[in-house]
Amino acid sequence: KMAAAAAGSLRRAGWRLWRGRAGLRCQLYPPQRALHASAVLRRASDEKKEPLASSPQQQFESPPTDPQPDHEPQGPRSSYTGQGGQESEDYESEEQLQHRILTAALEFVPEHGWTAEAIAEGAKTLGLSGAAAGMFHNDGSELILHFVSQCNTKLSDLLEQEQKQVQLGKTEKKPTDQFLRDALEARLRMLIPYIEKWPQAVSILLLPHNIPSSLNLLTSMIDDILHYAGDQSTDFNWYTRRAVLTGIYNTTELVMMQDSSPDFEETWRFLENRIADAMNMDNTAKQVQSTGQALAQGLMGAAVTVSNAETNRAVR
Amino acid sequence: AAAGLGPARPFLARRPGALRALLGLARGLAAGPQTHFGFQNVSEEERREKIYQVFENVAEKYDVMNDSMTLGIHRVWKDILVHKMNPSPGTLLVDVAGGTGDIAFRFINYVRSVRERQLQQKLKRHQNLSWQEISKSYEEERVKPLGDSQVVVCDINKEMLKVGKQRAQHLGYSEGLSWVLGNAEELPFDDDKFDVYTIAFGIRNVTRIDLALQEAYRVLKPGGRFLCLEFSHVSNPLLSRLYDLYSFQVIPVLGEIIAGDWKSYQYLVESIRRFPPQEELKEMIEDAGFFKVDYQNLSSGIVAIHSGFKL
Repeated sequence: KMAAAAAGSLRRAGWRLWRGRAGLRCQLYPPQRALHASAVLRRASDEKKEPLASSPQQQFESPPTDPQPDHEPQGPRSSYTGQGGQESEDYESEEQLQHRILTAALEFVPEHGWTAEAIAEGAKTLGLSGAAAGMFHNDGSELILHFVSQCNTKLSDLLEQEQKQVQLGKTEKKPTDQFLRDALEARLRMLIPYIEKWPQAVSILLLPHNIPSSLNLLTSMIDDILHYAGDQSTDFNWYTRRAVLTGIYNTTELVMMQDSSPDFEETWRFLENRIADAMNMDNTAKQVQSTGQALAQGLMGAAVTVSNAETNRAVR
Repeated sequence: AAAGLGPARPFLARRPGALRALLGLARGLAAGPQTHFGFQNVSEEERREKIYQVFENVAEKYDVMNDSMTLGIHRVWKDILVHKMNPSPGTLLVDVAGGTGDIAFRFINYVRSVRERQLQQKLKRHQNLSWQEISKSYEEERVKPLGDSQVVVCDINKEMLKVGKQRAQHLGYSEGLSWVLGNAEELPFDDDKFDVYTIAFGIRNVTRIDLALQEAYRVLKPGGRFLCLEFSHVSNPLLSRLYDLYSFQVIPVLGEIIAGDWKSYQYLVESIRRFPPQEELKEMIEDAGFFKVDYQNLSSGIVAIHSGFKL
């Protein structure tokens, strides 16, 4: 016990020194804990058995309620490598444990909703006490944000796979409207297991303290889709396209929540119509632009002719 | 060291004078390192004894004094603690230095209402239940109103436990409640037993806080939560001055009038000043091995709730 206390005070002193040197940056990194054997945080070697559905370039954005944003460039399961030369490489960080708990909690959402109870049940399946749910907000917002972020990552993976297939020449490149339709459908289908409790989730995401993070996740997802759709615009179209697609996604989501047709047929039809509208609008906009240009040129020509005629008449 | 002194004592008793002085010194050394009792400096043994006496004296009037000193706000503080805990049915709580049972009773109330709501929602969801199933769920509510939740109140002081048991009887709490005599520095429980460990206004009176924190770590299950409600450091200078004035001028007087005991309440006020502030206590909790340690100031720092998880 004395050794632990001595080690503890040494560690604290060392950390204060390190902190002083590193300055602001150190706020991003959790304190060193390797010297104390953790009861629950697993070693990286234990984790090879469980596959995780996430890509190597994780575009995960942690919610602002988390005081320590996760900036690890390595794979999602490898731990934070200590800067003080200590052996914390083997243990996962608190962040990763929290992700594990939230992932486990998702299976209890249909029964308990997006609540602290679902998180407590999830923690219990990992062998932890239900009190671990106290690590998160009482309103379940972290669970929802985690879920949304997971879905977005899955979608990115899907789109990347498709792109690879096209590049290898195994499949044809889809026309834009088909591509957008399939991407949005795939993303919305991920909501199906939780569709009954989804209205609750949407209302929680609209709470003021959640809006920054939920908006962030939404915009990055739409950005992803358009990026894979091959959008390379550098003008104002970049904004209009994203705004339009966001609008389509949100309205389709609302339709889906009160759709009772088999396999959500109504929703997919709605989606198809909206995308068609958007494509038409895009074409119409181009046509209007060219018509407008033609019209302007015509008017200019007429004005020049009239002024020439005037000049001629004046000369005579 | 005390055992070593045993056989020597009868021999030394026959040689008074210088040897007795030596014995006194040895006993002083044996009693342990110096620590504080309020603003005095005493040995650890002496401190434990003195604190035991303090609470023995105040046990009867403990709740009345709490109400009058804090103008009833301590109830709000304790409510906030239990709300922060947000226990679900099936939680095992150990309330250390829980004496008169304030936290335990609040825990039971909270769990009971959560359980009722759960059962109601379950009924609502299954609208097409047969009469048999409906009556079974009412049976469940009657037989398991707390849903297997339990709270163990542990205190070092017999008098405080006695008062607590009387209160429980008076208020009608019997289910899921047990009373254990024990020392926070050496809890009489097995490892990995409890979901939540709370210590409300008790850790200040523990002589070796680090030992208490280590014991807390030991008896908690993995994933379990440590919650500590305690008087802490007020950073606002104006409020701090008012608070000091109130503490040193008013509280001991109240103690004399209501409980007939000036010195115990003088000790109380002094011990608050000697207790480590928020950040230091947070570091001590981290040293014991807890993760995600955080604190929440209540009433601008007069009281703080520290929380940590055994991960």
